[in-house]
Amino acid sequence: MAGRYLQATSILLGWCVLGAPVHAQVTDTTRADTVARPFVRGGVYDKPFLTRLGGRSVLGGYAEAQARYERVDGIREQLGFEARRFNLFANARVSDFVRLGAELEVEDGGREISLEFAAIDVRVHAAFTLRAGMLLSPIGRFNLAHDSPLNEFTDRPLVSTQLLGVALSEPGVGAFGQFRTSGAGRITYEAYATNGFHDGLILDSPDGTRVARGTDNCEDNNATPSFVGRLAWSAGPAWELGISAHVGPYNTYRVDGAPIDRARQVNIWALDAEGTFAGITASGEAAVVDVDVPESMRGVFATRQAGAFIDLVRPFGRGWVRTMPASAFALKARWDLVDFDRALTGDSRQQFSAGVNFRPTQDTALKLDFVRGRARDRFNNASDHAFALFSIATYF
Amino acid sequence: MRAVWVAALLVAVTACGALFTEATPDADLFDAPLDGLSATELGAFARGDAEFARPFSVREGLGPIFNDLSCAACHSGDGRGRPDNVLTRIGSPADGFLAPLGGPQIQSRAIPGASPEVVPMGVALSLRLPPPVFGVGLIEAVPEAALLALADSADTNRDGISGRPNWVVPADYVPGVASARRIGRFGRKGQTATLLEQTVEAYHQDMGITTEQRPNDNLHPDDPASAADGASDPEIPAATVAAVVAYLRMLAPPDPSAETPDVVRGRTLFSQAGCSACHVPTLTSGDAPIAALRGRAVTLYSDLLLHDMGPRLADLRPDGSATGTEWKTPPLWGLRLMSRFLNGQAFLLHDGRARSIAEAIEWHGGEADRARAHWLGLSPADQRALLAFVGSR
Ligand code: HEC
Ligand code: HEC
Repeated sequence: MAGRYLQATSILLGWCVLGAPVHAQVTDTTRADTVARPFVRGGVYDKPFLTRLGGRSVLGGYAEAQARYERVDGIREQLGFEARRFNLFANARVSDFVRLGAELEVEDGGREISLEFAAIDVRVHAAFTLRAGMLLSPIGRFNLAHDSPLNEFTDRPLVSTQLLGVALSEPGVGAFGQFRTSGAGRITYEAYATNGFHDGLILDSPDGTRVARGTDNCEDNNATPSFVGRLAWSAGPAWELGISAHVGPYNTYRVDGAPIDRARQVNIWALDAEGTFAGITASGEAAVVDVDVPESMRGVFATRQAGAFIDLVRPFGRGWVRTMPASAFALKARWDLVDFDRALTGDSRQQFSAGVNFRPTQDTALKLDFVRGRARDRFNNASDHAFALFSIATYF
Repeated sequence: MRAVWVAALLVAVTACGALFTEATPDADLFDAPLDGLSATELGAFARGDAEFARPFSVREGLGPIFNDLSCAACHSGDGRGRPDNVLTRIGSPADGFLAPLGGPQIQSRAIPGASPEVVPMGVALSLRLPPPVFGVGLIEAVPEAALLALADSADTNRDGISGRPNWVVPADYVPGVASARRIGRFGRKGQTATLLEQTVEAYHQDMGITTEQRPNDNLHPDDPASAADGASDPEIPAATVAAVVAYLRMLAPPDPSAETPDVVRGRTLFSQAGCSACHVPTLTSGDAPIAALRGRAVTLYSDLLLHDMGPRLADLRPDGSATGTEWKTPPLWGLRLMSRFLNGQAFLLHDGRARSIAEAIEWHGGEADRARAHWLGLSPADQRALLAFVGSR
């Protein structure tokens, strides 16, 4: 445990050094090569961000705190507080062609730290930028834009957390780009080869098939890549329609070159849409997960899962708070559904959330949510839950 | 004006209860604790409850061959299971439970790398629907003498009913005199005498979880090389087994529903029809490890004895000293809530074949032939009253 914290602290310290504003040595980046001979060439004080890139490396992030009251079948399950997330962004424009973006996520007071994103982008053309590193998998739109201050609800959609394991990131390489269509319209794409999922989605999961248990496949388990991509079309800034897929084998099917099983696929398909009409922003996603579960595990491990959500948000009261002219309120509603096993009538969860938000400025959200839902076990017996949630999330 | 506010507040508070979900009364649950437990015992109950519900992953030791992931996955809400949870048993004491063919129990699932057992051809199969597990502490606490007093193997009273105990030898890890016979009370044929053995064997056979009592993985007989599930044995500590056993002992039977005229009449019909000769309404518990279990009325509607139920219900597979036509009288308590934990459905008898209480009665045969005939001869109104009584327990 102490080791974890030490590691966490050193990662954080290193991160702060990387992003710290730099004034001392660097005054004129164009004459960086005239800096006096460094104590150690390439050593800690001889890094480009100190000597040449000052002002181009920036640090930011977001933080989120929650108060949760949860009841399940009339029994209080939680009444407590969570320092849910503290995420640090670092971004560097290395040159006009090369950028680096990174996000380090610290969850639940430091118990979980992960490098959520760290990618190098090499731009060749608007229609083609090469990306490599730790990628955010473009499966559904929510995974690509899931920051708490952006999400209008305290919780992420069930389909994202329970089915797809958002935030889902994987090591990989590929490209993204955009093409203009008529007027303000455009088509964007992202396509990557990644390590994919590992067999933890079955072997580590006591609850049945769970894709989220098969993530963090940093040392590729099966020497076979997976492919993930998303294609999105939008007619104008207020509309977007996206389709995405993540396909590839998840199991270790060869040991030292000898086959021990056939390659078993996990294929995920998602459809997402977003649009604004009559002042209401609607967004939603639907996903289907197909897993080739070993025959001997079927019946208790699902081969097909599905889920969907729809968010409706209606901002109002801009500037009502006199002292905060940029402030606004929003009314919101969400419907959530996940079916953990399509072959069964039970094993699902459905819920409805509603509430109101206040944003002092666009970058900070105070959210009040009421959630009411029903889960069904594998016998299709119902269990009801209700949450009252309050949270604050802000970018910095 | 103030009154309006107070009224509004009251409405809001009442609505909040419903809004924030409502609890089911303990009397309507299968997993409520007995009355009169100490705080320490209630703490142990909660620990056992969590273990009973806990599913195992492959990494944690599930398998290599198994039937399901948790106790609760078969015993829904601590009640009975449904036909897709039935266990298939093969073999008997005489043939060593056909161990080389996968007996005594077919594990139809396996972790990756191992193969599941297949049901062999040409042997007698016994399909067993998971029975409810509440009230089993009280059942365990009924003295053997009380059961022997009910037994009438030779049918000396000539009522056509000759209940007899299933004498079994407990596993060697069960405390007590080694190889001493005991009356089995658990399982569809009463083939298991103690909750410790029932629990250890459920972990070992149903889930492939090793314990200190059974530290070696249960392997496929033809496929021993596929062996390990990777987890080190024993996969759960002795404390977990003890917690689950204590939990089972402390599970209260649900209360019967309120008496209605039909229920009152049905009670009389129940004994007139001869049902209560086997479904004995009340036994009394004796000494027990938990104070709340001692000297209590056990209103289970069973004599916990074996009865020949005729060819239609026979599985032709002996178990302990039970023959291939005998079954243990199942308790009828909790039938009121049976379908609540099966999403409204009903599955009765040893393999779940009956979909209603009436259907279950009609399957009765053998020693219960007279009772069945009596039932068939009742007027529809009397049948309704009898069903109301049985369904209110
Ligand atoms: C695969 C399904 C399954 C699983 C998993 C399972 N059981 Fe059972 N259980 C059964 C069946 C079937 C029976 C009846 C067995 C028989 O008649 O041979 C039974 C019988 C019992 C009984 C005896 C009830 C009575 O009155 O006869 C108890 C107690 C029990 N199980 C407890 C447990 C515990 C504790 C666990 C977890 C460690 C567990 N079971 C896991 C299917 C299951
Ligand atoms: C000779 C003893 C005997 C008599 C008499 C008898 N039963 Fe039974 N009963 C049993 C046995 C043994 C079973 C279990 C049979 C099986 O599982 O295949 C059973 C099963 C049942 C069940 C299903 C319980 C369950 O949980 O699946 C019901 C209900 C029932 N009996 C009601 C009655 C009624 C009502 C009568 C009177 C009309 C009656 N029984 C008479 C022995 C008897």
